[in-house]
Amino acid sequence: MMGPQSYIFERLVRVVFFLVNMVALYLLLRGHNWPGGGFIAGLASASSLILLSLALGIAAMPRILRFDPVRLAAAGLLVAALTGAAPLLAGRPFLEHFHTHLHRVPLLGDVHVGTPLLFDLGVYLLVVGIACKLIFVLAQSTQGLRALVAEEERRYSSPLEQPLEETAGPDDGKERTDAD
Amino acid sequence: MNLAIQPVLLPLLTAVALLFWGRPSPGRRTFTAISAGAQLVVAGFLIHLTYTQSPLVMPMGNWAAPYGIVVVVDLLAAIMLGLSSFTALATILYGFFEASPRIEHPLRLPLVQFLVTGINLAFLTGDLFNLFVAFEVMLIASYALLTLEADNWDVKQAFPYLAINLVGSTLFLCGAGFAYRLFGTLNFADIALRARAMSDDPRVTALALLLLVVFGLKAGVFPLYCWLPNSYPILPAPVAGLYSGMLTKVGVYVLLRVLGTVLPHDLAGVHTLLAWLAGATMIFGVLGAISRNFIRGILSYHILSQIGFMVLAIGLFTPFAFAACIFYIIHHIIVKSSLFLVGGTAALLNRTDNLDRMGNLWRQTPLLGLLFLLQALSLAGLPPLSGFWGKYAILVVGLEQREFVLVGLAILASILTLFSMLKIWNAAFWGSSEECEVCVWDWRWLRMSQIVAGMVAVSLAIGLGAEGVFRVANRAAIQVLDQEAYARAVFSVTGKGAPAGP
Amino acid sequence: MQIETALLIGVLFACATYLILQNSFVKILFGFIVLSNAANLLLLSMSGAPDGREAPIAGQGAGPMVDPLPQALILTAIVIGFGVTAYLVVLLYRLFLDQKTTNAAELYADQDTSEHT
Repeated sequence: MMGPQSYIFERLVRVVFFLVNMVALYLLLRGHNWPGGGFIAGLASASSLILLSLALGIAAMPRILRFDPVRLAAAGLLVAALTGAAPLLAGRPFLEHFHTHLHRVPLLGDVHVGTPLLFDLGVYLLVVGIACKLIFVLAQSTQGLRALVAEEERRYSSPLEQPLEETAGPDDGKERTDAD
Repeated sequence: MNLAIQPVLLPLLTAVALLFWGRPSPGRRTFTAISAGAQLVVAGFLIHLTYTQSPLVMPMGNWAAPYGIVVVVDLLAAIMLGLSSFTALATILYGFFEASPRIEHPLRLPLVQFLVTGINLAFLTGDLFNLFVAFEVMLIASYALLTLEADNWDVKQAFPYLAINLVGSTLFLCGAGFAYRLFGTLNFADIALRARAMSDDPRVTALALLLLVVFGLKAGVFPLYCWLPNSYPILPAPVAGLYSGMLTKVGVYVLLRVLGTVLPHDLAGVHTLLAWLAGATMIFGVLGAISRNFIRGILSYHILSQIGFMVLAIGLFTPFAFAACIFYIIHHIIVKSSLFLVGGTAALLNRTDNLDRMGNLWRQTPLLGLLFLLQALSLAGLPPLSGFWGKYAILVVGLEQREFVLVGLAILASILTLFSMLKIWNAAFWGSSEECEVCVWDWRWLRMSQIVAGMVAVSLAIGLGAEGVFRVANRAAIQVLDQEAYARAVFSVTGKGAPAGP
Repeated sequence: MQIETALLIGVLFACATYLILQNSFVKILFGFIVLSNAANLLLLSMSGAPDGREAPIAGQGAGPMVDPLPQALILTAIVIGFGVTAYLVVLLYRLFLDQKTTNAAELYADQDTSEHT
């Protein structure tokens, strides 16, 4: 049930993909003091991936991405939580952030760097992961594909349950047992 | 001071680690159990610290109140943290004994840890908006857990739960906006200081009523409880134990916190309204319980009727009533979640929890029968079990304030509670019938009952050592009601930002 | 401006309530989206300088300042609303797959919970 493949669209998306991600990087880096930040950058990156999935077909995405969006999100959450927790080791309050000014960095000149960037990076990864996962699952399901590919199924679904797309319907639903 | 954030950080990191771990395995279970145990130890240490010293305050990001977000642990919050980590540990262990790792759902444990993160954040938070965030973390985890292992029938019941809580969240958001406009701050301590001067402002009463709707909805107060009785029975037993123990009690805790610490104390109209709603909750909850014919349904309705008792104590609004409410929360969380676990074990043994098809449990498994009997009688309020002391204290306050109708309703609700507990007892435990097989060969029930026995032992200790527990509850109640001391504790912590102090 | 904002919030809440009370899943879903937007708008309209105090911004430049706090709150609320809406979409989709209907009244027509064990 794949949509018609358009050559123009596909070529265009391949270019736009990199453009959008550059904008996302820009938004991520400027986010501390100007409009931007991890959340909006993450949404931009996620939308680039979603565009790619529209052009290349949703079934091709797991092969292209080579990572599991949920793990990406979990990694983002871990980065953010650890950035928050790191000051605790030094006896400082949770989520305290530190800044420093670097002078005469090659290519960049004077830059102002701080730990909020790490926190934002965590948010970025989290948002990319979650937004991709959401859209991919819905898209796979509506196209009649299995919502979870084999690797994900091993990780996130119970051995007792069958894919919803196969069992759906009032007649062929799984048997209700009395004990559960 | 940094210990204050650990009850949130530990479950969060555990949840992430579990997500990375992937498939359930004995090692993953051991890790979860160790983490849950560590959370209990931290909570116990916090109770000790706050009982012997002043509240712990931690400004997040070192930004001092009222501009920064603060995390405050006072005695009540520490008690609630202890209860939540105890219930989480017990239900997690129970879940381990119920199903082998081979058939465990890989996402259940991470989601339980996210749920605990949200619950603990709600106890710790020192400002209204962070409370909203905590509620949302808790609710999203609870939506996911509710539908995680659900089948077609179950998913249908999850939708009303989701819909009603979504409306509640929106109202909470509006309430936070109004509070900001009204007081110019969202920090609990700052609101408390500013609201005292404007307690005759009708807008404060309106805000209190709006917040009453929101938290009453979370707590399951009449007439906003309809989401609860149909959604809890669809959960697997260990998760239901955690939900029944903690989720509605978060609502009760927030009512205590907001009415006691944040809003002015002379909103008599709001308190009276709350007391009468509590009376209605008790009666309707227990009548609902009588109408149900399966154990989880009966127990779910009983949550409501017990919530009525706690909220009645809040509505009576004296320090002693608050102490009674806190004592009742301590009693109720342990008794209620252990009853759900007993129900789960009984359903495992009889392969159903429909009372028409249950029986023979007392003869085959007297241990389980004894556990059920102790907790059921405690729930109904028979001395010397823990439920009696909480009800007794609430009724004493009610009589002192000459609220005879409410006291009468409370006694009626207790008698009806006893009646519906005896219904379970008669049908499932005492009754004998040829058709009901008791699967005692299913060895799992023994380990599950041991977990319940541990909870019953704690509950008995609360009942027999009521004096000591009541002393702790009393100190917590006085602390909750002392707005100046709370504000002093919060503003004494310095950090970046404007000089502390209003 | 205040009157218009207040009216708009009122209209949005009314629309959301109307939509949520409909039978169709899609309308219910849209109702919740409108509801969260109405709440966000209400939060935004609550910004200002409460009791005359300025927003705590160091090193103020020229020009009028906007109260940043409600915007931070709204951002948080939008993120949360995003997550919850996504969950709601998936839940309704699953309900549709299970029950082959998008009508809430049909779905709960045979509601008798006491039968369920």
